Amino acid sequence: MNKDNNSSVMSDVVLSTRIRLARNLKSYPFPARLDREEKKAVCSLITEALADEKLIYTDMETLSASEAVSLAEKHLISAEFASNGTGRSLLLSENEDVSLMLCEEDHIRIQIIEPGLSLEEAYRKADRLDTVIENKLTYAFDERIGYLTQCPTDLGTGMRASVLLHLPALSRKGVVRNLTTTVAKLGLTLRGSYGEDGEILGDIYQLSNQVTLGISEKAALQNLNSIAMQIVTQEKQARAALIKDEDFMDLIFRSYGILKSAYKLTSKELTNLISYVRLGAAEGLFDIPAEKLSALTTELQPATMNTQSQTPLTRSQRDIKRAEKVREALG
Amino acid sequence: MLCQNCKKNEATTHIKRVINGEATESHLCSSCAQNSGYRDLFDDFSFNLPGIFSSFFGDTALALGESRLDRCEKCGCCFDDIIKTGIVGCADCYEKFYNKLLPSIQRIHGKAKHSGKVPPVHGEEITVKEKTVEEKIADLEADMQKAVAEQNFERAAIIRDEIKKMKGEN
Repeated sequence: MNKDNNSSVMSDVVLSTRIRLARNLKSYPFPARLDREEKKAVCSLITEALADEKLIYTDMETLSASEAVSLAEKHLISAEFASNGTGRSLLLSENEDVSLMLCEEDHIRIQIIEPGLSLEEAYRKADRLDTVIENKLTYAFDERIGYLTQCPTDLGTGMRASVLLHLPALSRKGVVRNLTTTVAKLGLTLRGSYGEDGEILGDIYQLSNQVTLGISEKAALQNLNSIAMQIVTQEKQARAALIKDEDFMDLIFRSYGILKSAYKLTSKELTNLISYVRLGAAEGLFDIPAEKLSALTTELQPATMNTQSQTPLTRSQRDIKRAEKVREALG
Repeated sequence: MLCQNCKKNEATTHIKRVINGEATESHLCSSCAQNSGYRDLFDDFSFNLPGIFSSFFGDTALALGESRLDRCEKCGCCFDDIIKTGIVGCADCYEKFYNKLLPSIQRIHGKAKHSGKVPPVHGEEITVKEKTVEEKIADLEADMQKAVAEQNFERAAIIRDEIKKMKGEN
C-alpha cells in the first residue's frame, strides 16, 4: 500500500479513516435472538477476553439519552446502538480511537478511527484486537463464507473500511453522483455523511467497501486506498479551478466572516460554513489548523453540547453558546 | 418479457450488477423493482438494511410454505423468519439453511468463497491470489494487444469494452 508521504495533502481531503470488524461468538445465537441476560453474558465474556487492553467499560443501560447520542455524534457508536442500551456494553479506549460495541447487530463490532488516510494502520489495530479475542473465544466461522454475521451482507471478512472525504469542489461541480456510480462498479460505496434525512451536510462523504465476501482484507483495503487517492486528486484539481472563481472566493470569505461574528449558529449552519472555511484553510487562505475545525464540528453537535452543560440547554441557548465557542476558537 | 420475480407484469427494469467480476442480470416489473430497493438506480440500494436482504429472496420465498416447520435446533429460527427479517438467527442456521441461503448470499456478494483472515482453530489464512483493479486492467490491456497482433479485432473490441467498464467509463 502506498505509504502516504504526502499525508498533509491527503488530510486536506481525507478527514478520517475507519475500520469496522463484525464478529460473533459461536456458542450464542446472534443478538436479535438473545434476551437481556444473555446479552449481558456475551458482553462480559468479551470484556473479560479484553481485560488487558486498558479499555474503558460502559454499561449502555446506565447512560442518559444525551450521553448515548453524544457518542453517536462522535461516530464512536451507531445511532441504533445509542437508541437502545438494553443488555449492551461499550468498550472505549481513552483517546477514543478504539471502540467496541457489544451486542449491537453482531456480538462484537470492533471499530478503529484514525485521522487522515490511514487504512493500513487502522486495520493493524483492529486486527490485533480481533486476534486477542480470537485466541480466547471461539468465533462463528465457516470456511466457505467466512466470519458469520447476523446480516448476510457482512459475511466473509466482516470488514467495513471507510474514509471520510471532504469534497466541496466536486460537489459544486455536480460530479459526485457520477462518482457514486463509478465507484459502485468497483465494489465501493460513496455516500453523504453527517446528514439527517439523507441530506448531505458540509460536503462530507463516506467512501467504503461494499463487498466483504471473496475479497481479502488486504485487497479490499488496497482498492479503497487507491480509489480514495484518485478522488483526492480529482478534488484537488477541482479546487484549484474553483479557487479562481471570484464569487466562490467571496463565499469562502463570507463564511469565515459569519463564523467569526455570528451571535447564533445552528449545528447545520455551522457544518455548512465550516466546509467552506476548511476549504479556504486547505488552500492557504486562512491560517486555521484542520484539526481545530474538525474538533469544532464534533464538539458543537447538540447532544454533545448538552452533556457538557450543567443544565439542559434549549435549542436557542445552544445556538448562542455554539456561536460563542466558534468566535472564541477563531479569535 | 415477463418480470422474473412476480411473473405477471411486463418487465420494464433491467438490472445488471457486477460484483467481483460476476455479472448477474435480472428483468423486473416496476413494482418488483421498487420492492427490491431499485427505486433510483443512482442511489445505493444495497445498504445494510435487513429488509433489502430479505427482498433478495423474491421467488425463493414463495416456494417454501413448509419451511416454518423446519427449525434450527439451537435458536429456533426457521427459514421463514430469515426471509421476513433479513437477519439470520445463529451460526448453526448458516449450516442448516446453507443451501437455501446460498443463492441470496451470491446475489449480494457474487459467487465468491471466503478469502482473508481465518480464526486460528480453522488453520492458515485463506489466500486466493487476488489482483487489484489496476492489475486486472493491465492484464486485459496485454490481452487486447495480443488480440490486435493476432488480428482478432472482434475479441480486441470485447476486451476494450471490458477495460472501459473496469475503469468506470460509460
